[in-house]
Amino acid sequence: MQKDFVKFENVYKRYKMGEVTITAADGVSFSIDEGEFAVVVGLSGAGKTTVLNILGGIDTCDEGKIFVGGRDISRLNKHDLASYRRYDIGFVFQFYNLVPNLTAKENVELATQICRDHLDSDTVLDSVGLSERKNNFPAQLSGGEQQRVSIARALAKKPKLLLCDEPTGALDYNTGKSILKLLQTKCREDGMTVVLITHNSAITPMANRVIRMRSGRVESNVVNPSPMPIEQIEW
Amino acid sequence: MKGKKEKKSSALRKNTLREILRTKSRFIAIFAIIGISVGFFSGLKSSGISMIATALKYFSDSHLMDLSLLSTVGFDDEDIEEIKNLEFVDEVMPAYASDLIITQNDIDSVVKVYSVPQKTKTNKHPLNEPVLKQGRLPKNEGECAIESYFLGMSGYKMGDTIKFNPSVEGRATTDIVRHTEYKIVGIVDSPLYLTYLRGNTTIGDGTVAFYMMIPPEEFAVERYTAVYVRTNASDGRVYELGDEYKELVDEQKKEIEKLSLKCVGRFEATTLADAQKKLNDARKEYEDKKTEALDEISKGEKKLLDGSREYYEQSGEAQKKLDDGEKELAEGREKLEKGQQDYKTGIEEGKKKLTEAQEQYNDGLAQYNKAKLEYDTQIDEAEKKLQSAQNEFDIQYQIFYSSTKPQAETKLTLLKEATDILLELLEKAEAKLNELRKSEILGEGIKAQISEQKKKIAEYKEKIAEYQQQYEEGKKLLEDGEKQINDAKEKLDAAKAELMSKKAEGALKLNEAKTQLDTAEGQLANGRLEYETALSTGMMELQAAQTQITEGEKKLEEGKKQLVEGGNEALLKIKQGREELAKGRYEAHVQLDDAEKKLSDAEEQLSSLENAKWYVNDRDYNPGYSGLSEDADRVDSISKVFPVFFLLIAGLVCFTTMTRMVEEHRTETGTLKALGYSNTAIAMKYIVYAGTAALLGSIVGGAAGLLTLPYIIVSTYGIMYSIPPTVLTINWASYIISSVTGIVCISLVSLFACFKDLRQTPAALMRPKAPRPGKRILLEYIKPLWNGLSFTSKVTARNLFRYKARFFMTIVGVAGCTALMVAALGLKDSTTDIADRQFNKLTMYDQIYSLSESGTAKDKEYIMSQFHADEDFENTLLANMSWGYISHEGHDNSMSIRFTIGEDQEQFLKMFILRDRVTHEPVPLTDEGIVITERTGEVYGIKEGDYVDITLDEEKYRCRVTGFTENYAGCLGYMTPEYYKKITGSELKYNVILTRLTEDSRELEREIANRYMKSDEIITVTSMVEQINTMMDMMNSLDFVIFVMFFCSGLLAVVVLYNLININIAERVREIATIKVLGFYSLETANFIYRESLVLTILGGLAGLGLGNVFATFIVESIQMDNVMFPKEVSWLSYLIAFIMTIVFSMIVNFMMYFKMNKISMVESLKSIE
Repeated sequence: MQKDFVKFENVYKRYKMGEVTITAADGVSFSIDEGEFAVVVGLSGAGKTTVLNILGGIDTCDEGKIFVGGRDISRLNKHDLASYRRYDIGFVFQFYNLVPNLTAKENVELATQICRDHLDSDTVLDSVGLSERKNNFPAQLSGGEQQRVSIARALAKKPKLLLCDEPTGALDYNTGKSILKLLQTKCREDGMTVVLITHNSAITPMANRVIRMRSGRVESNVVNPSPMPIEQIEW
Repeated sequence: MKGKKEKKSSALRKNTLREILRTKSRFIAIFAIIGISVGFFSGLKSSGISMIATALKYFSDSHLMDLSLLSTVGFDDEDIEEIKNLEFVDEVMPAYASDLIITQNDIDSVVKVYSVPQKTKTNKHPLNEPVLKQGRLPKNEGECAIESYFLGMSGYKMGDTIKFNPSVEGRATTDIVRHTEYKIVGIVDSPLYLTYLRGNTTIGDGTVAFYMMIPPEEFAVERYTAVYVRTNASDGRVYELGDEYKELVDEQKKEIEKLSLKCVGRFEATTLADAQKKLNDARKEYEDKKTEALDEISKGEKKLLDGSREYYEQSGEAQKKLDDGEKELAEGREKLEKGQQDYKTGIEEGKKKLTEAQEQYNDGLAQYNKAKLEYDTQIDEAEKKLQSAQNEFDIQYQIFYSSTKPQAETKLTLLKEATDILLELLEKAEAKLNELRKSEILGEGIKAQISEQKKKIAEYKEKIAEYQQQYEEGKKLLEDGEKQINDAKEKLDAAKAELMSKKAEGALKLNEAKTQLDTAEGQLANGRLEYETALSTGMMELQAAQTQITEGEKKLEEGKKQLVEGGNEALLKIKQGREELAKGRYEAHVQLDDAEKKLSDAEEQLSSLENAKWYVNDRDYNPGYSGLSEDADRVDSISKVFPVFFLLIAGLVCFTTMTRMVEEHRTETGTLKALGYSNTAIAMKYIVYAGTAALLGSIVGGAAGLLTLPYIIVSTYGIMYSIPPTVLTINWASYIISSVTGIVCISLVSLFACFKDLRQTPAALMRPKAPRPGKRILLEYIKPLWNGLSFTSKVTARNLFRYKARFFMTIVGVAGCTALMVAALGLKDSTTDIADRQFNKLTMYDQIYSLSESGTAKDKEYIMSQFHADEDFENTLLANMSWGYISHEGHDNSMSIRFTIGEDQEQFLKMFILRDRVTHEPVPLTDEGIVITERTGEVYGIKEGDYVDITLDEEKYRCRVTGFTENYAGCLGYMTPEYYKKITGSELKYNVILTRLTEDSRELEREIANRYMKSDEIITVTSMVEQINTMMDMMNSLDFVIFVMFFCSGLLAVVVLYNLININIAERVREIATIKVLGFYSLETANFIYRESLVLTILGGLAGLGLGNVFATFIVESIQMDNVMFPKEVSWLSYLIAFIMTIVFSMIVNFMMYFKMNKISMVESLKSIE
């Protein structure tokens, strides 16, 4: 397992809103090892989403360096960023972001068709427990199921990094729990590096590493040597 | 929904304003769509009326006449007064006009020469006042103004001199205008000529080439040739291009025609009668004078005759006296001469006689002397001769007897002896021979001896004979000699006797002669005396006579002289008299002839003035006038239909846009509702939004359309029409109607769009609207097809069908734009080649020669034979072309139709292609009925085999329609001469010759026309080139309108597509962001969206092709007239162009969208659904 698989070095991100400049990332530095289940936690506006976006290649930083697997992605151009997203990143959205006009399987295929090395969409769907619902449209699926499809879509690309943006935010407790379980399982069993952001500190015990953020800064970066299985966590 | 009325809060207003600023593209889209539609509609609608307004202003500014009057006898001031006095007549202007010929580069062109319009006491303004383009109007002698249109073509410039041919159709040019050369001082445009058509003429090649103006004083004719009348019809009470005006003018025309009878009557009663009377008087005077003159001449002649007779009589008498005197004198002279002669002769005779007597006497004396001498000589000679003869005889006698005789006798004796010897020898020889013969044995020697003996014997015998003969001869000679001597003795004796007698006789005769001579000598002396006496007496007598004659001669000479002198005098007088008379007679005849010619000219002129008639023409009589309102109408009818489709599509697209907008503001609507805003207030936001866009659009678009289209379109027509700069006339009604319609429609559409949302509770509105569930589409059930599609194609297919309304809207919107383009191009197709089709494929004659009505069948045959022989003609056809009317059951009105009946069917079918428009199958023309043009059948709903009523020469006939032929311009009918005979029962009279030339050349046409216009049988030549050009120009001027249509359609297409694609993208921002996050590259992302819009564009485009056909048909139908058919055929090329243009526009829009799509932030995808 590579150490410092993901590494932020003094990353800044500023947004200009008219005359006001908001510094969303104010010198963020942290690192995550390969195969870790990292949770970035903080209140809204703490800059965690900014960090995730920059890490996911959907946003760029103004200053600093970001290394993923030893590669500096902070200076990539648009096209290379797209390739980075395509081959290295799996993204799980809070609102699933499934294409409503595509079935579960098709939504997975939407991702796999652009990857050279990908998993079979059926297999992935089976692995997220949606064997029976592959041919359903998102509208016919529950939130949890939709999020599973979303995860399946992210996983099918065989990403180096699975980024999850409040994956349970729109889900009820149990469903959220099962989604987190699925993510934990994927991390443990497949050695997938997972970065999950949440405002819910309660779930931090399940992580290998907990990064706390506040006002665009990393407050703490704590490794949890013995993460708890999700079933044992209540909130 | 009832809402409390409340003051719209400023917040809400701000919200609306911000909304507009925020969604600029949507606002601009609505603004543009409405702008284009309104601008296009009102611009086009104003074009037709601007064109008309321009024309009307031109008419009014130039004081264009309403009626123009022509007369076979011209007009006088009284006529003008009469016309002026008509109640409805405002102004009357008398004028002059005439056709003259100029020659340029060996080509004769006919020029219409007008007098420059003037202000007279009957008109306040010059009527038909020309527009001065350059220079000034001619006002001095020898000045002219030429029209601008043909200036370039004819090569004349300002300051050039136009030179007329010295005569026109046998009439001296100077009889018509005062000069033959005019200097160009101005360039003008006359309102009488709106187009470049210059009309026909009966001289030259039959076509007026251009017109010009000269001052009225320059015309050498007495009476006005034209009168222009402006009536109250053009005082603004009625629309001058409308039917009402036409009706009004028609009535006025009739009034003037009525008046014309009166004026013509007056003309006949006064001017004509005066002229007749004057003529008669003149004739009478002439006759009187003629008689008088002739009388005088004959009197003179008689006097001359008398004088000369007297002279001849008198001179005859004198002459006779003279002659008598002369005769007497001559007689005297003759007598004298005779006397002289006689005297002379007498003397001569006497002298002669004397001489003769002397001579005779002398002769006698000489003869006597001679005879005496002769006698003496002869006697002497004779005596001498006798003496010599005696002497000779004596000698001969002596010789003979002394010598000759004894010698001869001796010889004879010798011979006797020789003979005897020989006889002895002979005997011996014979004996020896006998001896020899007796020897028995005859040896060789013996034999020889025998022969020798024999020989000797023969020799002896011979010699004996010879000697004997000589002997005889000698004997005889001797005897003869003796005899001769005896004879000579006898003769000599006789001569002696004769001489003696002659001597005596001669002496006697000589004595007698001597006596006679002596007597004669006495007589001669007497005669001489007598002669001398007579000589002197005769001489005296002759001298007396000579004196008398000389006297008489003198007298005669005197008389002669007197006579000659008197005669010469008289003759001179006679000669002078004769000369005077001849001169007088010649002069009288010249004068009489002149008078006679003048009289007969006057009579002829007068007779041509009989049956005087006025022709009253309205404005349509001017070439090109009737086309103007038609052209304006055509532009108008295009703008009737086309912009309506335009607005329809605009409305549709706006609806889509607004629906989307309302959907986007679902949450906001809910919030506002929750905050307590009334539905009205909320709805107002959308209504204001859309309404503002529409209002601004209609203001800007309207201004743009109104300020450009009329100018562009009217000036396009201006190429064809020579009219002054465009007078912009805004069709406010259409502008307001289209604007209001646009604004109201958009507002209603907005209201309708938000209506659904407003009905919901705020809570429901604030909940995010569940995205439309994905659905399996029909296509998926066709497994083989579906499985064959690529993943993205499947996505596209499913997306397309997901939002059916939007799908439908998009397709309709695109289809509409495509259809508009197809319609524009289809209109172009319909109008482009109809002139070509009509004149190069259907009616293929190039010229119409109209034949003189008075021509007999034989004349026609003759001229036809000339045409046939002419190699410049490819085909010639003797035909009857006449206008009639056609009507069909169930239709009140009848339509004018031109029938063509060809003499030769074969030739006919070469010039008139009768065929079905679609199949091109020939339509047979039989003796069983008529074939009419397709459009005519269509207008009346006539079916094959139907009976129609036709009116020819004011007679109505019923005939069967056997077929319909393809035709575009005009309402035409065809029949065979046999069918004509069948229905009318009368024989057909051919009135035209149609020709087709071997090559398309205007020069050749003119040349040929000139060639045949000289013929008496040909009246006019009409060239089809003019017609073709007119039609082509008419159609080509539509081109610009069509281009505007096409351009606006394209513009609309761009806006519509932009709008629709924009909506599509806006709706799918999240999706786009998501797939970007998934790692789609920019192009892949774009394709994901484009594929859809491309499919939509293609589908819409295809649908648009079908719809466009409908549009095109509709528009073509709306612009076609009863007598013009536009083929409702849209070419595949037009479809292709429209389709490709749609795709191209779509691609342009997509390209524009690419950047917009690139700008979509992926962060969006993370946001919650609003």
